[in-house]
Amino acid sequence: MERAFKRSFDSLDEIFRFTESFFVSETIDAGLLHDVNFVVEELFTNMVKYNADGASDIRLDMDQANGALVVRLVDADSKPFDITKSPPVDISRPISEREPGGLGLHLVKKFVDTLDYQHADGETRITFTRRLS
Amino acid sequence: MFEIGFGEQGVVVVSGRLDAAQTDKAQEFLDQLSGPSTLDFSGLDYVSSAGLGVLLRTQKRLMSGGGGLKLVNVNPHIYNIFRYSGFDHIFEIEAASG
Repeated sequence: MERAFKRSFDSLDEIFRFTESFFVSETIDAGLLHDVNFVVEELFTNMVKYNADGASDIRLDMDQANGALVVRLVDADSKPFDITKSPPVDISRPISEREPGGLGLHLVKKFVDTLDYQHADGETRITFTRRLS
Repeated sequence: MFEIGFGEQGVVVVSGRLDAAQTDKAQEFLDQLSGPSTLDFSGLDYVSSAGLGVLLRTQKRLMSGGGGLKLVNVNPHIYNIFRYSGFDHIFEIEAASG
């Protein structure tokens, strides 16, 4: 199941409706929907923020394979930014040393089983999996 | 759909989905708070990292004046996000019962 979304935070409502309809049509445990939506939002909004001038819409593809949910986001007009190499976050620091931002990719890694990043010819492909059992 | 407003006894009632498209609305409301404040999350389904940023910014401002946020009726999904962020040490949190 695949759909393209405009490069805007305003696409989030439409994206969440899309993920929910996929869960319903594939009869996937709704208890996973929150975590999957979280990861999709973080990856999508990263693409919006860091490639705001990209001309293409951003594609979201969801599927099941080998007992896992497989989700792919594709930005066909983007600069390289390997999200798997984001710096670690020290969550033990006191509030005086914490600033808003920087947590998204840290949290993404908590909610996925695999996370893959590819970039070639201006196209970014990010794929994550989450076990269904 | 995201909503935020005052409920009974000055408690701030938050509901819906606090995602990246809703941060301006949330921040604009929270900026009017002063002193200790309670946020009731019983109707809140979802918080993204953008929403966490709004809450952290508010907490830092209130704590610098001797106040702070107390978050009550936090659902397990949102509680996990706070725990993985280390925010369970930064905010006073009461999980939702049941």
